[in-house]
Amino acid sequence: MRFTQFTPYDLVLLAQGLGVTVGLFLLTSLIGLLAGTVLGVVRYYRVPGLTQAVTFVTELLKNSPVLVQLFLVFFGFPAFFHLNVGPVQAAVITLSANTAAFVYVIAVSAIESIGRDQVEAARVFGLSRWQVLRHVIAPQAAAFSIGPLTALLVNQLQVTSLISVIGVMDLAKIGATLNLRTLKPFIVWSVVGLLYYLAAKLVAGVGARIEHRLRAHSAFRGL
Amino acid sequence: MLNVENVRKTFGAVTVLDGVNLTVKPGEVVSVLGSSGSGKSTLIRCINGLERLDGGRITVDGFDVSRPKELAEARKRSGTVFQLFNLYPHMTALRNITLAPIEVLKRPKAEAEAEGRALLASVGLEDRADAYPAQLSGGQRQRVGICRALAMKPSYLLLDEVTSALDPEMTAEVLNILAKLAGNGTTMVFVTHEIEFARQISDRIVFLEKGVLLVDLPTRDFFAQDGGLAQPRVAQFLSKMRKD
Repeated sequence: MRFTQFTPYDLVLLAQGLGVTVGLFLLTSLIGLLAGTVLGVVRYYRVPGLTQAVTFVTELLKNSPVLVQLFLVFFGFPAFFHLNVGPVQAAVITLSANTAAFVYVIAVSAIESIGRDQVEAARVFGLSRWQVLRHVIAPQAAAFSIGPLTALLVNQLQVTSLISVIGVMDLAKIGATLNLRTLKPFIVWSVVGLLYYLAAKLVAGVGARIEHRLRAHSAFRGL
Repeated sequence: MLNVENVRKTFGAVTVLDGVNLTVKPGEVVSVLGSSGSGKSTLIRCINGLERLDGGRITVDGFDVSRPKELAEARKRSGTVFQLFNLYPHMTALRNITLAPIEVLKRPKAEAEAEGRALLASVGLEDRADAYPAQLSGGQRQRVGICRALAMKPSYLLLDEVTSALDPEMTAEVLNILAKLAGNGTTMVFVTHEIEFARQISDRIVFLEKGVLLVDLPTRDFFAQDGGLAQPRVAQFLSKMRKD
């Protein structure tokens, strides 16, 4: 058997790579969603100073390439802070922060999309600011933001492929390895691409289901 | 007692309320008339603490709405019904009604829901408890809005042009309920353009003009030639409204 041929073990490698990609995606999405939402709530409470700081950092994260951020964390942090940052840690930090920045923007616009009339109606009946957020704003803001959030996460799933550059054995890195060995780029990258596609479709499908549930109250079913 | 003392409210250079005085005693129905922009809605919004006063004082059963600590108590005593209903679109009719009793008054859920259903039944919506606002007609939404305010058992019901967004048939639905409430001795501050209806249910009528309370008279006197109609501005307003 020539070393350029595919072996059954390649399927195991692909599955492992897919597992790393999906695992990192889920972890960083969870952290990003939580952090971004908390930052959005910080803004809702108009904490002096903090809002400006949050806006400044999120603007930096949104307007610079993820690859640059990744290099900064992976190469820059060890050099500057004398911290030992492994590839997986660098990936988790960078992707979580990047997702959080975009979630923050979506959370802010979702909170602002809720009409003043809604907040006033709840306030005159004596609900506290927190109760208004929890019972009136959050459920409506969730319904508003689920579409943009799904689009964001589908994109962030693709962005995870960048971490292969710093040596994380994700799906893209496995693809690169198989490609080097087999010298069959068309087949390798088609299969890898298909796996990303299927994972993205799954994310979009879950998003659509949640959206359907959150908008159950709306009589508007689209044009 | 609901006391409005010398209240001033400005938005930038515009003075919307200019030294308004008004007292509403328990059991009274007071209608507030006046043309658009006269400050009627702002007066309601000052009473329920949605606007900050620029002068004067408002107390609800002695609780000053300008003091953050007393505002919560003042708000527990007044219930507001809005012109555009302001129902929570993601909650059923019943949940719209029970949210504040459960969260603010800490009522047990089962009790609050039983009362909510009874309120819905009293406005003829017993079978719509589980409907979302988007599935209700305008008149039905406003009836839910009234139930939501009544669920807090307010001492004072503040009604801010509650029929302005409704067609005549739906207006009649809502006014029938208000007439019933007035008959039950519910205290109301009723901002409205429904002059004939105001005449039927009110104990007193006040007339606002450019932020000034021009007239404050018992209903019968308000419509008398030597009473409210002696004010040229009131006579002009009433004749104009009746032509429309």
